[in-house]
Amino acid sequence: MILPYRLLKAALGSLWAFRSYAALMMIGLVIGIASLTVIHEIGEGAQKMVGDRMASMGFGANAFYISAGGGKLGVRHGMKRTMTLTPEDAEAIGRLDGVDQVVPHKNVARTQISAGGRHTNTRVRGTPPGWAAARNWTVQQGRFVNLRDLVTFNRVAVLGTTVARELFGGAIPVGKRVRIGRTPFTVVGVMDSKGSFGHRDRDDFVIVPFTTATKRLARDDKLNGMRVMLVSSDRVGEIKAEVTDVLRERHNLAPGVPEDFLIITPDELMQFITRQSRSLVAMLTFISAVSLFVSGVVIMNIMLVAVSERSYEIGVRRAVGARRRDIMYQVLMESLIVAAAGGLCGLGLGVLLSYLATILLNIPTAFSPMGFAWALGFSAGVGLLFGLAPARKAALLHPVEALR
Amino acid sequence: MIRLKQITKTYHRGKVDTEVLLGIDLHVKAGEFLGIMGPSGSGKSTLLHILGLLDRPSDGSYLLDGSEVADLNDDELARLRNAKLGFVFQAFHLLPKATALDNVLLPFTYAGRYPKDAVAKAEKALERVGLGHRLTHRPGEMSGGECQRVAVARALVNDPEVIFADEPTGNLDQRSSLEVMALLQGLNQEGRTIVLVTHDSSVGCMCGRMLRLIYGKVASDEPVENPVRAQEQIGLEAGGAD
Repeated sequence: MILPYRLLKAALGSLWAFRSYAALMMIGLVIGIASLTVIHEIGEGAQKMVGDRMASMGFGANAFYISAGGGKLGVRHGMKRTMTLTPEDAEAIGRLDGVDQVVPHKNVARTQISAGGRHTNTRVRGTPPGWAAARNWTVQQGRFVNLRDLVTFNRVAVLGTTVARELFGGAIPVGKRVRIGRTPFTVVGVMDSKGSFGHRDRDDFVIVPFTTATKRLARDDKLNGMRVMLVSSDRVGEIKAEVTDVLRERHNLAPGVPEDFLIITPDELMQFITRQSRSLVAMLTFISAVSLFVSGVVIMNIMLVAVSERSYEIGVRRAVGARRRDIMYQVLMESLIVAAAGGLCGLGLGVLLSYLATILLNIPTAFSPMGFAWALGFSAGVGLLFGLAPARKAALLHPVEALR
Repeated sequence: MIRLKQITKTYHRGKVDTEVLLGIDLHVKAGEFLGIMGPSGSGKSTLLHILGLLDRPSDGSYLLDGSEVADLNDDELARLRNAKLGFVFQAFHLLPKATALDNVLLPFTYAGRYPKDAVAKAEKALERVGLGHRLTHRPGEMSGGECQRVAVARALVNDPEVIFADEPTGNLDQRSSLEVMALLQGLNQEGRTIVLVTHDSSVGCMCGRMLRLIYGKVASDEPVENPVRAQEQIGLEAGGAD
C-alpha cells in the first residue's frame, strides 16, 4: 500500500527521470489551454463591454426601447424595416399610466455636412430635448436642443466631438454655420465624447431637433424608434403589454398579424447579447476541446511508450511490494501532474496573450472565471482520461515480464 | 520456512504450452543458503520467481512460514514480498535517477506505514554493504559492484526473512562478484535465509546447499562440503596481487 505523499514523490521522481517526455506531453496541452483561456477572456471582455455600454446609454432597468419594423431580436438583419411608428404613437404611449417620458428619434440617412471648405459624412439624428438626459449624455459646449427649437423647426445642430474636430479643428464651433446636405444650420452645442465601441466611433454624429429632421431633412415623420422611460422598474412587463395593445390598435393590426414594431427591454437585450457571445464562445471552446483531445492522445501515446521503457522500474516496484493499483495510481498521478502543469502553464500563457491583445490590438478582455474553470477542468480531465490506458498497461505488466 | 510440494509451471504462449517445472518438492529451512543451478531453460529462474512470489505456480502447494501462499491474491502477495522478502537482480534494477539512499528507501514506500527511522535504517543498510560514503550517488556515478551492493542494501533494508538473488554476480567482474558473495554469506551467517540462482559453479560452491535442476526436475539436492568463503578469496587475491 502506498501513501499519498509517497505516491506524489514517486510520481514526481519518475517524471523528473523522464522529463523530456514530460515536456513533450505538455506542449499540446499548453497551447490548447492557452487558446481556451484567450477565447474565454475575449468573450468575457466583449460581454463586459456591452454591459458597460448599455449602462452608459442610460439603458437602465426602468426603460425600454421600441424599434420600428417587426421581427425578432437578432434576426432582422436584411429584412426590410417597415416604418410605421409615428409621433402620435409616441404621444399615445406617453399618456399611459406609469410612463414617465417617451423620447422618439428620427434618423436621417448619412449625409454630408460642411463648414468653410471642410466637409465630412456623418449620421444625422432628430431628437427631442429629453434625449440627452435619457442617455446620461451631457453637452461639453453650448446647449442641447430645446423645446423652442422643436416648436419652430429651428435649424440648429449639436455636434459630436468627431464632427466638431473634423469641421473646425481646434476652433470653437458654437455659433458657427454648417450645411447639412444643402440646408444651412447654426451650431448651438458640442456633446461630450463617449469614445468608440469596437470599431464604431460613437462621437461621429450630428443631432438636430426632432421636428427639423422630419420636416426639413427626411421629409417624412415616421420614427426609427423611441425610448420609453417608466416611473419605476416594477411594471416593465405589464407596461410593455399595454404598449403592445395600444400600438396594435393604432396600427389596425388584426389578431394573428405579426407586429410591425419591436419592443426591446434591457433584460432581453442583455440576454440576447449574452446568448450570442455564449454561442460564439461555446463554438470556439469546442474547437479548442478538439485540440485538447488531440493533445490528450499525444500524452497517452508518449506515456504508453514511457511505460514500455520503464517496465523494469515497474518490475522493481512490484518486487519490493507495490500492488497493481499502486502502479496504476502512480502512472495516473504522473499524467495528472503533467496535465495540471500543462494546464497552469497554458492558463498563464493565455492570460498573458489576452493582456497583450488588450494593450497591443485594443481587443477588450476580462478575466473569465468560467475560462479558468474550463482550463483546469479540461486539463485534469485530459490527464485522467488519457492516463487511464497507460496506467492500466503499467498495472497489468507481470512483474516477471517487467523485470526481463 | 519454505516448503514446496509438487510445484509445476506451464506457460501458455499462443497454442503452445511449455512445461517449465515438472513437480518440484523442496524444503528450505530458516538460515539456509540455497544455491540453484542448472543449464539454460532448466527452470531455475522460474522456480526463483515462484519462490519469491513474483509468479504463481500452475499447480502444487507452497507453504511460506507454514501458510499456503499459492492461493493468495495479488495484493496479499505484494504485501508478503514487501514484509518478508528481499530481491537482488542480475542487472541491479536500481532507479537510475534516484540516489543510492532513495533506492534503498524504495521498499518503505510500499510498506503501508512509512517508518519514522526509515532514513536511518537505509543509511545503516548502506553502511552494512560498505557504501556509507555513497548515499547521494546515483547509479550512473557508481561501479557495477557498488550498484549491486546498493541493490543488496535495498533487499535487506526492511529486514526480510529471505533474500532472493537471481544471478547477482552475472554482470560483475571477479572482484566485485566476490564482494557481493561475501556480503550474502555474511547476511547468511547472521541467520538470514538466502536463495541464489546462478549458472556459475564458482559462485555455486559458496552456497551451503546446492539444488540442481535439469528440464524442470530436481536432479540433485545436496549440501556443499566446505563452502568457499568469499571473504577469504578476496584476501587471497589481494595477497596474490602483492
